This record gives sequence, structure tokens and C-alpha cells, in this order.
Amino acid sequence: MDRSQHQRLDSIRRGQSELDNHLIDEFLGGYISRREFVRKGTVLGLGLPTLGAILAACGSTTSSTGGGALKKGGKMTVAIITPSGAIDPLKVSDEGGLAVLGQAGEYLAFSDKDLKLVPVLAESWQANSDGSVWTFKIRQGVKFNDGTPMTAKDVAFTVNLHADPANGSNARSVFKGVLSKGNTTAPDDTTVKFQLDAPNGNFPYLVSSDNYNLIILPSSYTGGYESSFIGTGPWKKTSFTTGQGVSYVQNPNYWDKSALNLDSLDLKFYADDQPRILALQGGTADVISQFSASVGQALLGNPNITVLALRSSAHRQIHMRTDKEPFTDKNVRQAMGLVLNRQQLVTQLLNGQSDLGNDSPFAPVFPSTDTSVAQRAQDVTQAKQLVTTAGKSGATVRLDTWNGYEIPQLAQLVKAGAAQAGINITLNVTDAGTYYGDAVFGKSPWLDSVMGITDYGHRGVPNVFLGAPLLSSGPWNSAHFKNTQYDDLVAKYVAAIDSATQRNLAGQIERLLLDQTPIIFPYFYKHMSASKTTVGSIEPTAMGHISLKTAGFKA
Amino acid sequence: MGRFLLRRFGLALVTLWLLSIIVFVAAHVFPGDVGRRILGPFADPAAVASLNHQLGTDQPILSQYWSWLSGAVTGHLGTSLNYRDSVASLLGRAIGNSAKLGVVAFVLVVPLGILGGIVAALNRDRFLDRFITVAGLSAAVIPEFVWAIVVIILFGVVLRVLPVTAQAPEGSGVLTQLEYLILPAIALVLVLFGYIARITRAGMIEALDADYTRTAALKGLSWATVIRRHVLRNALLPTVAVVASQTGYLIGGLVVIELIFNYPGIGYLLFTAAQKKDFPLLQGGVMFVGLVYLTATLLADIAYSLLNPRIRYGSAE
Repeated sequence: MDRSQHQRLDSIRRGQSELDNHLIDEFLGGYISRREFVRKGTVLGLGLPTLGAILAACGSTTSSTGGGALKKGGKMTVAIITPSGAIDPLKVSDEGGLAVLGQAGEYLAFSDKDLKLVPVLAESWQANSDGSVWTFKIRQGVKFNDGTPMTAKDVAFTVNLHADPANGSNARSVFKGVLSKGNTTAPDDTTVKFQLDAPNGNFPYLVSSDNYNLIILPSSYTGGYESSFIGTGPWKKTSFTTGQGVSYVQNPNYWDKSALNLDSLDLKFYADDQPRILALQGGTADVISQFSASVGQALLGNPNITVLALRSSAHRQIHMRTDKEPFTDKNVRQAMGLVLNRQQLVTQLLNGQSDLGNDSPFAPVFPSTDTSVAQRAQDVTQAKQLVTTAGKSGATVRLDTWNGYEIPQLAQLVKAGAAQAGINITLNVTDAGTYYGDAVFGKSPWLDSVMGITDYGHRGVPNVFLGAPLLSSGPWNSAHFKNTQYDDLVAKYVAAIDSATQRNLAGQIERLLLDQTPIIFPYFYKHMSASKTTVGSIEPTAMGHISLKTAGFKA
Repeated sequence: MGRFLLRRFGLALVTLWLLSIIVFVAAHVFPGDVGRRILGPFADPAAVASLNHQLGTDQPILSQYWSWLSGAVTGHLGTSLNYRDSVASLLGRAIGNSAKLGVVAFVLVVPLGILGGIVAALNRDRFLDRFITVAGLSAAVIPEFVWAIVVIILFGVVLRVLPVTAQAPEGSGVLTQLEYLILPAIALVLVLFGYIARITRAGMIEALDADYTRTAALKGLSWATVIRRHVLRNALLPTVAVVASQTGYLIGGLVVIELIFNYPGIGYLLFTAAQKKDFPLLQGGVMFVGLVYLTATLLADIAYSLLNPRIRYGSAE
């Protein structure tokens, strides 16, 4: 959006109520679609002329590229991030790799951009009364791209493959303590039963596209994914070149073939943001799956390009060792949270493409987040007072982090803020390998430093963020935060099935973490992707998936 | 000449072997292990251990080196730890691409640079000389990534006359491939032109001022013959050395250019191999780039000796 659009929008905004402006924010954030915006807007009483004016002022930033009939046929070129290693469903752990897995492969369910689960290979699912046993009904008539039929046995095989520690699957970090090997069974061809280690109310997310390694493989699978690209997905591989790209045509055996528009698809790998953005500007690529708001400013105001900004739970954590001076006193930790001007951070570092964090993992995007908990705002006077009362004024602390994304700039701003409250921070910015070290306590600046900044990717549910970095037993607990009341609340939250209970517990956790502040969550930044305006119906997710099932070119 | 070549060849082998040790040690003093680099900081420790076991990277360092060395001398470069693909095929593709780009850039910049240097020297202290020297140097001090972005934005985004990525679609003909390689080649020409022109100019001026040139002119030879037979032969000696030293860079050192033009060459491949501690790939690639450097220097030495009889006769004694 350019300056004049901003000004026009601001003048419209001034006349509206807070609720209306919230809706405008949601629409600008890409959280709701154009259609949903208009629907909710009319419910709130915004007249159609006003809605039209807002839409016009918002220019090209919409939440989906839908709208306008798509023609059948054509070949789309999509620039994605170069996968960091071999394409192996067990080993992929990066955005580029998972974007590739999602083309020839499919999941039981797809976690869409609003974090709703859309059934794919599963048609429905339900839990027993306490959420410890989940039963999934598997879609019938689905075939793998080599022609063999897919049944519940293949699903059970795939899940057990990932749950077995001997296979070294990346998905184990999700399944650990939730689902053990052998506890997924297929009593018949249409049913899969998951016997969990402990009750889990969000379990379906853990076998959806959120657990991106879990594309369903045939029970005959023995490895060698790169030569077969075996799966039930809409696209069948024709050629793959390591480090360069994959070409696909329609999968002739696809179960939902009538939904497909494109004849063929080219994924091109780009290692860096800048070339990816240039490829879209120069016309080499029709779609780019991801770019960072700080680099891609040029795309935001370009009338030939549609930018899709998705709210996400991806964030940075600023941890403070609760067992090390000067952070043993929670007042000092609170003070560090109070010195930050979050709105300004987001504007400076991320071109404003972000939600604010409230020092808990409950990102505004999660439906279970209790949004009635007040947002922590900058208050330097109070921060100074808290530090003085704690007797820690003039204390010096080292902040460790690594040189990537906007992290070094964030570290500078944290340092400047802390200085205002009387805490001197010295920075130690290394490369990622040094900062993460061996990723175990005692051998990793990430886990051992008194203060540090760590990057966390998007998750569809907050379970991982609530557990590993904050539970007393958490393997990534850099803050060395140990609080039994917190541990209890999280156990209850994880087991809760209905959303009212989840939201209630979320509120309690949010308040406890605001009081304790072991970790500052400054912001949850948006996932940005973009396409030519001639492209329609691509569906990116904040996780990094890009569903091209219904994608096509406008007629 | 034969003994000279043999000695250089033996030295080259020793250099390569030492290089392999340096790369191996350097790759192992970086913190973090291979499994962790591949799976990332958030992977389960058990998964990391099991991957390290599968890859053999939990073996003692010496036995890892030995298994690489014994494979390499028999022509087996092993399997990339990160890509799980044969190092030879990964390198082969990347080298082919790098060579294409290197050759296009070389063919453009070397004649242009030499011509620029000659013209500058012949117009010494006049406008044309100043222009070539100042423009060449100004272009050379601007880093390659800036030039790359400038030419992309100008020719690819604004004018839209050339593709912004360097990799032509599969199965393209030679002309199409050339079209795709022009922009990165232009960026390289801008960076290297000033350097080559300046060295040529300096050599030319020295030769033009030399007594033998005056003698040649005084004995009545035509100016063209003087330049061709007496000046150029002597003036180009330092240029040959400089061009040789840039050949290795053109083949193996274009990390940034390859990254910006999204070109799958060897520079970027090695860069990621180092990041992932992908030792077999890194080692194989560095050996190759080392070989290119050594060959280029050797060829330069031979060219040097053909141009300069003192060296040729000296080594034949």
C-alpha cells in the first residue's frame, strides 16, 4: 500500500468504531478474506459505500488470490526457498523441503491459513471422552500416483514410521510424549485408531499438515523418496534436480481431479530472498512462496503483484535466566518487557507486517488465545522503578544471539531499551551454528546464556511453544523457568478438548507468564507470499506449505 | 620444459593433498555436528544421533578422513551427507554450469580488458586514457553484488529485455543459454575489466618506454609491427599472470553472483556444503577448485615461457 492509500484509509478509519477498525485490521492482516470482510462488515453495520472505499484504499493486499474465474490449463512457475537438504519425508525440517513434500504428498488434514483443519485423506475424526484415543475415518477411492490404492493400513504404517525413534524422524519432536511407536493401528481399511500416551485435545493438528513430515506413504515404502515422489497428492513429479527444482504434471490417479486447473507446475528453488523477489518482478516466477517484509518492500506497493500476508505464530523469544543474576527477581524481568516499544519494533523491523506479542506463546492468531488479557505496553518509568527497587540498577548482562533475519537489529533495540531502565547489555552475536551449539544444556549458548534471542517458526497450535521452552522439564527451556503451577496449567490445557475450557486455561497461563516473564515475546510476524495479479487460488500457509491444488491463471 | 612440467605436477599433487587436510580440519573445528546441522536445533537428540550413525559421522575423525582419502584416490568421491546424492554427479552438474558462466565472462572480459589497456596506453594521459582508467577502476571498486542487482533491475525488471535468473529452461539451445548468462557475465565484466585493463596499460607503458622499442622504431619498422612484435609480447606478461589468477575465481568463487542470479554453480554448492558440514561434498568441490587454480597457474607459466624466451631457455638447461 502506498502513502496515499494509507492516508485515504486513515481518514476512513477515523469515522469508525473500535470494533469496525478491528475488522479492518483483520482484513489488512490477511486474516479474513475479502468476502468474509464484507460479510462481517455488513453485520457490524458498515455501509456498502464505506466497505467499498476501504477495499479500494487497501489496493492489492488481500488474503487470498481468489476472485475471477480461472481457466483450465497452463503451467505455473513457483519460486520457493531452496530445500536445505535431501527431500526425505522423515528428515525434512525446513520451509523449502516441506513446500516440496506438500505437492506430490497429502496429509490426513490440511491446517489452512486460518488454522482450521480441512479434511483431506481423513474424512472425519473423533476422540473418546478424555481425548486419549482418537479415531479417524479414512477417505476411500484414493490411489497413490503409481496406481496402488491407499488404505488405513498405509496411514498407520506412515505414522508408526515417524513415531519409531530408530528412524530418526523429525516428527518425533512432535510425537515424543504424545504418541509412541506401534500405538497407531488400522482395525479395518477405513479406520485408523491412535492410542495416545496422554490425553491431547489438539491431537488432530499433530497428524495434519502442521506436522509437515507426515505425508501419507504406502506401506511398501522403504526410502528413496527423491526417485519416486510417491504420494496421493495432485501433482506427479516428472523431473527433480537437487538444488534446482521439481517439475510436475497432474497426477492421473488423483481423487479430486476435477478441482485441478493447471496442466503442469514448476517449483524453482531460490536460496535467497532478493533473487526470489527479483524473479517475481522480472516475470520469471508467477508466485513466490515466501519473502521477508524487510527485504520485499518493493512488492508491497506494486500494482501488478498480489501480496498475501498471513498472520502466524512465528516469533522471536528473548529469554532471561530465572536462576541467574540479575534476572532471579521477576521485577527485573518484567522491567525488560516494559522497556520495549513493540509497535515501533514492528514498524522498524518488519514494515509493520506483524502482530504484537504479550510475553506468552499465545499468539493473537490462535483461536484459543484469551484476547481479553491486556497488552503489555511500554512504560520506562515503571521499568526503571522496578529495577531500582530490586537493587539491580547498573547491572551488566550479556545477550547471546545469532546473525540472521532482523535478530541483530532487535538485539540492538533491546539493549537500548534496557539501558533506559538501568541494565547494561553487551551483545554477543555469532553464527547460527555457534549459538545453537549441540542443542543440549551445558553445550549450547542458546540454552545456557543468561539472556538470548531465539527464532521459532510457526506452529498451528501453541502446544510446542508451551512445552519445550517453558515447562520445568522442557528440553529448550533457556530461561530455566521452573514453576509447578505453570506445569499444571499446561497439562490441563493440552488435555482440554472444548474451546471454552482451552480459552479459560489460556487466560490463566497468559496472566501467569505476564507476571513471571521468563521470556519476552515481542511480536508474532506475518508470513508473506506474493504472486502476479493474473494468478488465482493459491493457498499458502504460515507453516510454509503452498497448496496449488486449485491454482490457476485468471481467464 | 619436460622436467619443469613434471616438477610442477608433483608440487600440484602435494598442494592438493595439503589442501584436503586443511579443509578437513577446518570443517571439523566448526562447532556443532553434522546431524544437528541437517536436522536443525529443534530436532530430537535421538533423531540427531540416529542420523549421525546412518551417515557414519559418529566415527572417529581419522577414520572418516581415511575412508574419504582411500575413496578419492580410486576416483570415488562418496555421497553428500546433506543431499544423499553422489558427490560426483552433484559436482559434475555444478561444474558444468560454472564452466559455462566462467567461459562466457572470460571471453567477454579478457579481450575487452586487454584492448582497453592497449588503447589507454597508446593514448597515455589523454582523455581516452583517463576515461578508461577511471571508469574501469570505479566499476571495479563497486562490489559484484551491487552490480548484479543494478544490471538485474535495469535490464530484467525495468527494461525487461533479459531474464533475471541465469539458469535457462531445460533443453534450451546454445543461444538461449547465452541470453540467460549475459547479465551475470556483464556484472563480472564490470568487476574485472578495470583490473585487467590497468595491468595491461602498465605493461604497455613500460614496454613503450623501453630502449628496445625505441631501437625498433628507429631501425624503420612500421608502428604496427613495433607494437605487435616488440611491445605487446613484453607488455602482456603480467596480464597473463593476472588472468590466470582470475580463472580460479571465475570458476569457483562466484558465490554471490550465483546466489543473486539463482545459478546452480559450484560456488554456491560449496558454500552450503560448508554450512551443513557436508564434508564429502565440500572436500570434493574444494579439490576441484584447487585443481582449476593449479591448472590455470600452470598454463599461465607455460604461456609465460612461450612469450618470454628467458624463462623458456632457463628451464631447458
